[in-house]
Amino acid sequence: MADRDEARDDILLAPIEQTGRGFYWAVALLSVPILWGALAYSVQFYEGLGVTGLHQPVSWGFYVTNFVFFIGISHAGTLISAILRLSKAEWRRPITRMAEVITCMVLFIGAGQILVDLGRPDRIMNVILYGRYQSPLLWDATSISAYMTASLTYLYLPMIPDIAILRDRLGGKRKLFYSVLALGWTGTEQQQRVLNRAIAVMAVLVIPIAVSVHSVVSFVFSMTLQPMWHSTIFGPYFVVGAIFSGIAALIVAMIIFRKAYGLQPYLKPIHFRYLGQLLLVMSLLWFYFTFAEYLTGYYGAEPEEMKVFWSKFSGPFWPFFWGMVLGNFIIPLICLVRLGQHTVGKVLTASLSVVVGMWLERFIIVVPTLSFPRLPFAEGIYWPTWVEWGETAGSFGLFALFYLLFTKFFPIISIWEIREGREAGLKEVEERLITYLPDEVEGKT
Amino acid sequence: MELPHSDFERLVRTLQWVWLGVAILLVGGIIIWIIHLIRTAWALDDVPSASIAISLVAIPIFIVLMSVVAYVFWGLRTHGRER
Repeated sequence: MADRDEARDDILLAPIEQTGRGFYWAVALLSVPILWGALAYSVQFYEGLGVTGLHQPVSWGFYVTNFVFFIGISHAGTLISAILRLSKAEWRRPITRMAEVITCMVLFIGAGQILVDLGRPDRIMNVILYGRYQSPLLWDATSISAYMTASLTYLYLPMIPDIAILRDRLGGKRKLFYSVLALGWTGTEQQQRVLNRAIAVMAVLVIPIAVSVHSVVSFVFSMTLQPMWHSTIFGPYFVVGAIFSGIAALIVAMIIFRKAYGLQPYLKPIHFRYLGQLLLVMSLLWFYFTFAEYLTGYYGAEPEEMKVFWSKFSGPFWPFFWGMVLGNFIIPLICLVRLGQHTVGKVLTASLSVVVGMWLERFIIVVPTLSFPRLPFAEGIYWPTWVEWGETAGSFGLFALFYLLFTKFFPIISIWEIREGREAGLKEVEERLITYLPDEVEGKT
Repeated sequence: MELPHSDFERLVRTLQWVWLGVAILLVGGIIIWIIHLIRTAWALDDVPSASIAISLVAIPIFIVLMSVVAYVFWGLRTHGRER
């Protein structure tokens, strides 16, 4: 039985054991935006932030938009995986690892945006040496550090049994690497108990940390008195948006690697159907929050707020605003309401549309308010230069490259969890189902 | 050239301790940083209550994270069997 399982799961180890031509093509392709980003950053590093489109009053543009976007995407993993794990959703098994990896990768990319936005990266030392906890920016630094640490731990712990499989299969230098990381895993019952307990603690811990991260990101805006930022619902609004974009990014990653590594037997249309339904629910929730946020501002009709409001609806930012509505609400609604046929294609279309829509949403939050500030600064429209475009392209390329490299070292689907599902899952689900149902009344036929 | 079995095992064990050390150093470093910010706020009389309030939440979280890693490290070492 064990041998049959091993042979059956060989496909999950294939990308680690062999490197095909596709891998090199992918790396070459991703190198283009990464090199563009590196060039853009080096120009900015030597010339200063003057080479960007940032100015007064718009001092936050693409970089802060990217920061909020990437930190939002990070909710894909840990939060979704933790919720599915805690609710014992059996269909989670092939998904959790992919989700957790997204979190870890984008957190580094997201946090890196702040370094880029600083212009002079050595200024980060000011935060470390003289940071003030009255500033929401420092709350951000603290909560992102906690989330990064928790996410790395939460990714690593469930990987230990899979790392042990690799340790036992592979030779050479890689054997040392996997032997160290496997921490002496031999799969005894006591070891399994220790690991399960630790994963359960992490799953509980990581949910409030994840929620706090995006709430705190929103506080960077809402703690100011700027028009259309000073809002009490920004915390939950940002969290909803983050989970929404996170699910979309997860679906896109799943579909790409399903195709590239032939994972169709593991990632079935039913997984995409469930995730698609979740995406639809989040789309409706996002629309509700957006509607509530804009209606409240409109009803108040405060002159400074209305300036920003109309700049989004029919002013210079209208293409971004309506693009956001199209991407986050209309297209997902059309694609996801009926998932009878072409499930994967429809879910992919909706997810790509949400990823673009959510980036526009972050842009539409950051830039219009700064363009029409409450204080009597000169008003000004922001337009990015090639430097910001390059850095943005480089960030996306770097994220994809990190993700790809991860799949060359570790299985992208948790092998032991799949095996556990086959061996013990069915019985466990049956027993659990019986406990959900009403007890049979004695003597009644 | 492959190392003899016992040397290999010793190297693995040493590197595992180094790995744990790095993890503790990372989390410990963040805790020390937070304490440094409280001390700075205190010395400058710059609303230290805010720093203390936030660190009352943050520091225990980092300690729990470190404890989980140490628990797994120790638990797997002591409950393994000969391969």
